[in-house]
Amino acid sequence: MKNILISILSIFFIFACSSTPVEKVDVQETTTVDLTATKQKDTDSEVVMNNVDVGEAYVTILFDYDDDTLREDSLEDLFAISRLMKADSMYTLLVEGHADERGTREYNLALSERRAKAVEDFLTATGVSSFNIEVVGYGEEVPVDASSNEDAWSKNRRAELFFIK
Amino acid sequence: MKKILALIVFSLNFHADLVLEITESASKPIKIAILEKNNNSLAGQEIVEIVRNDLSRTGEFEVIANDELLSIPTNEDEVIQRDWLLLDVDSIVFVDVQIEENNLDISYSIFDISYNDTEDKRRVLGLPDSLRQSSHYVSDGIYKFFYGIEGISSTKLMYVTKTSNMHKLIISDADGFNEQVLLKSNSSIISPAWSNDAEQIAYVSFENNRAQVFTQNLASGQRELIISSKSSVSSPAWSPNNKELAFASTKDGNSEIYVINLKTKKINRLTENLAIDTEPAWSPDGKKIIFTSDRSGSPQIYEIDVRTKLKRRLTTIGNYNARASYLNKSEIILVHRNQADFNIASLNLNSRELSVLTSTKNDESPCIAPNGNVIIYSTKDGNLSYLAGVNISSKVSFKLPALYGELKEPAWSPFIR
Repeated sequence: MKNILISILSIFFIFACSSTPVEKVDVQETTTVDLTATKQKDTDSEVVMNNVDVGEAYVTILFDYDDDTLREDSLEDLFAISRLMKADSMYTLLVEGHADERGTREYNLALSERRAKAVEDFLTATGVSSFNIEVVGYGEEVPVDASSNEDAWSKNRRAELFFIK
Repeated sequence: MKKILALIVFSLNFHADLVLEITESASKPIKIAILEKNNNSLAGQEIVEIVRNDLSRTGEFEVIANDELLSIPTNEDEVIQRDWLLLDVDSIVFVDVQIEENNLDISYSIFDISYNDTEDKRRVLGLPDSLRQSSHYVSDGIYKFFYGIEGISSTKLMYVTKTSNMHKLIISDADGFNEQVLLKSNSSIISPAWSNDAEQIAYVSFENNRAQVFTQNLASGQRELIISSKSSVSSPAWSPNNKELAFASTKDGNSEIYVINLKTKKINRLTENLAIDTEPAWSPDGKKIIFTSDRSGSPQIYEIDVRTKLKRRLTTIGNYNARASYLNKSEIILVHRNQADFNIASLNLNSRELSVLTSTKNDESPCIAPNGNVIIYSTKDGNLSYLAGVNISSKVSFKLPALYGELKEPAWSPFIR
């Protein structure tokens, strides 16, 4: 014990005497978390949504650039969904909002969720219970077409509507 | 300014996953030689090689190759001044490496040719398995001697890669070596952020089919969901003291800015309106937060005082300004729409002068190196996304091409010291 103390002190002494600036280097350790092998349960089971395969979107609603206003050509589809849902309250609708790649990811996340919300607001205004609608924003993360051109962007600015009964 | 495409090739056996290309060098790089002092050890050669690469990849040094030298001195006394003046070399860095079982001791001195004298002496102590990191400290010391700005060779980069359906959150050394995977997922990962002590990170994961913010301890891999919500939670930003995390969430209806105390879990809501408020970033003193809001009809940058909640709008030029962060007390950087392109720009908060810093097309996620002088961002060329960067003082620009389908969301570590 005493020896260790002496050696620590002597190291300190060498450093203190030296006029040359000295830097000491440590190596940083890291651990990999792999979510691909097993679905982690410790995250939060409450917010894990039904991971059932919802299949193809029942309807896709398209939007203009940096806009969450429903276009007139979407209204017919939305009225049809409204009628369906009011006739059978067992239907639950999942509305997934998406954005094109232009602009920042986080702003696009908020924008995509607002697009999904615009669909929800329309449906609730026509008398559908908001209990039966779930909205989620995916931002620019899940494009239908990953190309960088207006054709792809116009397809990616969308809300996809799924029935999860 | 002369355009040079200098590809830095790593000749060592280590596998580099990212290879940096200088796309534009400094107009007048400093010409230096890096030589091993006295003995020629294997470790010494390796260290000299790493330091050479580090300094070359700054674009601010021209490191002269050994086969161009007229004479090779092994110490300061053997320097023939005339030989070096002919080559127009500014300085020689002598690197003296002592390596023992549990000890790596690197001393280096900077010998100025015109004064014919040693100008500076420094020393780096490490372990033999920290050889690369120790060498980067040598590079940073040399950089600081010449430019008066902290070097960033010893820092780390965090980024996200995507190949088919595999998303990975990775950290590597600033030169692309030593890649370590922090998170592997089948769902998107965005907005990674370092804590200011470099021990933890925060990011947004879509693993539960919506945006959620997790913190993760680098060493243990232990993760924590910051708040449980059925709405999206995103855009994490560590407060300068690491005690709080700012974030955006739609938990109260539409996207608002919040601050959570990580210990007490107490949440402070900062914004309240019908617009999108997102992308918070802290001021260096932790008193203010800047964020993106489209309350005026288009996304613009606002600043809010965390305590008084007083707000002011910062951007006035253009119809798209987003994802801002402080460069220093009086300057911010942001994504700015410049006609059809999205570029990285800086805004002086006093003069309100906006300068566009990049010339690629779809630039986003700008992030500042801890020395405050280098910006890295992600951009896209065709369908390939990659990282690019620009040095503010020297105008050197560089890119890190993707060896993956996508390489995005860069986050520069704080100084690791």
